[in-house]
Amino acid sequence: MIRTHSTRRRLGVALISGAASVSLLLSACGGDGGGSGDEVSAPQTGALETGKVQKVSFWHSMDGTNAEVLNKLVKDFNEQNKGKIQVEPTYVGKYDDGIAKYKASIQSKSTPDLVQIYDIGTRFMIDAKQTVPMQQFIDRDKLDVSDLQPNITGYYSIGGKLYSMPFNTSMPVLYYNKTLFKKAGLDPNKPPTTLAEIRKDAEKLSKKNGGPAPYGFGAAIYGWLLEQFIATDNQLYCDNGNGRDGKATKVMFDSPDTVKIVSWWQKMVKDGLAANTGRDTSQAQKAFSSGQTAITLESTGQVGSFTEAAKAGNFELGVGFYPKLKPGDGGPIIGGASLWIDGVGHSDAEKEASWEFVKFLAEPKNQAIWHTGTGYFPASKKALQEPMDVKWRKQYPQFDVAVKQLEQTKLSKATQGCLLGVMPQSRKLSEDGLEKAINGADAKKSMTDAANALLPAIKQYNESVK
Amino acid sequence: MAMLYLLPALAVFGVFMFWPLVKSIIISMQGTDIIGRPGGFVGLEHYRHMFSDPAFAKVIGVTAGFTLLTVLPSILIALAIALLLQERIRGLRFFRSAFALPFAFSVATASVIFGVLYNPASGVINGLLSYVGIGPFGWLTDPDMALISVSLATVWMQLGYNLLILSAGLGAMPEDVLEAARLDGATGLRLQRSVVIPLITPQLFFLIVTGTIHSLQSFGQIYILTKGGPENNTTTLVYSIYEQAFAYNNSNFGYASAQAMVLLLVVLVITAVQFGVLERRVFYR
Repeated sequence: MIRTHSTRRRLGVALISGAASVSLLLSACGGDGGGSGDEVSAPQTGALETGKVQKVSFWHSMDGTNAEVLNKLVKDFNEQNKGKIQVEPTYVGKYDDGIAKYKASIQSKSTPDLVQIYDIGTRFMIDAKQTVPMQQFIDRDKLDVSDLQPNITGYYSIGGKLYSMPFNTSMPVLYYNKTLFKKAGLDPNKPPTTLAEIRKDAEKLSKKNGGPAPYGFGAAIYGWLLEQFIATDNQLYCDNGNGRDGKATKVMFDSPDTVKIVSWWQKMVKDGLAANTGRDTSQAQKAFSSGQTAITLESTGQVGSFTEAAKAGNFELGVGFYPKLKPGDGGPIIGGASLWIDGVGHSDAEKEASWEFVKFLAEPKNQAIWHTGTGYFPASKKALQEPMDVKWRKQYPQFDVAVKQLEQTKLSKATQGCLLGVMPQSRKLSEDGLEKAINGADAKKSMTDAANALLPAIKQYNESVK
Repeated sequence: MAMLYLLPALAVFGVFMFWPLVKSIIISMQGTDIIGRPGGFVGLEHYRHMFSDPAFAKVIGVTAGFTLLTVLPSILIALAIALLLQERIRGLRFFRSAFALPFAFSVATASVIFGVLYNPASGVINGLLSYVGIGPFGWLTDPDMALISVSLATVWMQLGYNLLILSAGLGAMPEDVLEAARLDGATGLRLQRSVVIPLITPQLFFLIVTGTIHSLQSFGQIYILTKGGPENNTTTLVYSIYEQAFAYNNSNFGYASAQAMVLLLVVLVITAVQFGVLERRVFYR
């Protein structure tokens, strides 16, 4: 190698360009302007122009099989509305990426007509004031929405007003390995229903006590599961009625009951009864699929792949209700994502066309296609009676447990779930606390520290949307 | 006239390099609203917060640890293999390709595979160790091990590239110098230490500088393997910037930009030091 001045200089330039590209990335998200005003309203009926194809840009976060089913539904819709409306779906990355892109689009005044946003982005979407609340369209058309599952619309409603249309809905359930239950001398038709029962079963299941499975229990360190434990315990996650009576000012995942739940989990791991596979949900799924853990907690979205894994691994899959700290009211919160119609910067025809598509997706028949194709819970009650749905549930009888669980859950502030502008950060911090505790730190202190660490973010958020 | 020729290049640099840099500095002194729109001059508030935040001190510590655990090991191991591959052994071609193979893997692919291997319950590594009665280890879940595990994966990914560069250097070694050394009675380790290694110092220097920069900018493996956890023990500076700006619906672009400025400074200073201190010992022919 010959030393020249240019190599040195080139390296310097490369350095600056490397650092600059980081800054480019960040500043690309900057921008000015855009005001917030009052609520955006729905257009008058008949806003669609005749003789013109209205395009609808639709941003979503569905990939794999889910995307295939969604694209099929879009195709059906476009065919039905040939010459009138054409929906153009775009995959914008996972939920977190999707909302980040959506924010950037608000800044550059190029929001899509319709956007899919995850459950925990709901409060943010309301506060961003870019969208037309679904309730406006429903009231305008005097649409009968009694077909929609109230436990699902409950999450996306404040004061009885529906803000967005639930689209893909999932719920957490308990999955267990019946074959391992039998080997451990447990009743394979009696899944544990409380945390104490999980521990009792895990004591018989775990290798440590001579059981058939390496670990009796194993679930991801996932904030969503903690939120579910709090809801099934009929407790609030954040104050002001889970953020539904007013903006929440603090989270309460350091409450005595939650600390009990965290301590339970901590002790399970410490005693060798539970596997700690970290935060990555796919690792906990793998451990369960391969028979390394006998009980796990996961979304209903896993019914399909766990059924496949059970077939491949020669074990019988069982599904039970999400466990509770103690028997009582309370039940799990629905999760997933919903559809938002953008109003700011969009013509009446665009809004109207988006609404047509949203209505189409909520129809029982299409919900049944969606449900059976993806395993997501149908938002429409009648979808469960569609022949294709009935047939599908015969094939996956485990899913009936989820249906029962949803129908038995009483709608309350606790089971509606917490609406919080900084919910994604909150979930992350609760995971920090849970993880610390599982790794041996004091449960009460870990959770309190985590809850307190969120306070500045909540305060900042609430001040900026005043 | 010279300026005229430079203009197109300058324009491109201006638009894509310098303006974003300036903009980043500006944003690093602004607050952001919930949508991520910068607004409101806050001066050096982000910097003050950053340097008084113990979480940020930890980020710097993790970044330093990650760099130390990846750069030198990946060069030293590559050097050892490269020297071994200089010997005329059977199946040399096969070994060369095999050892250089990690270079062909994308960070994402390799990380996903390492994630599977590291799984504490169903991973192959713990499975094999259980035969000799060790473990199980929480490779990515134990706060004391996670950084080492991620570094290990990174060293593996970096190995192929380092090996290629060093092998090329060794291959271009002038035969007459080696012969002269041998005639003088230098053999084995002595030959390697006094003749071979000095002759590839340009390659070693290149790898140290680019490896350090590369390591400071690593993101993929952390994102895929640990998401910065457990207990933020693998949250490096770049990952922290990402979290502040894009993850968890955060949009703290101001704070993220301030951290990006620190990254820029760190890279500049370390590289300047490397050029100042190490380059003096580099032997250029």
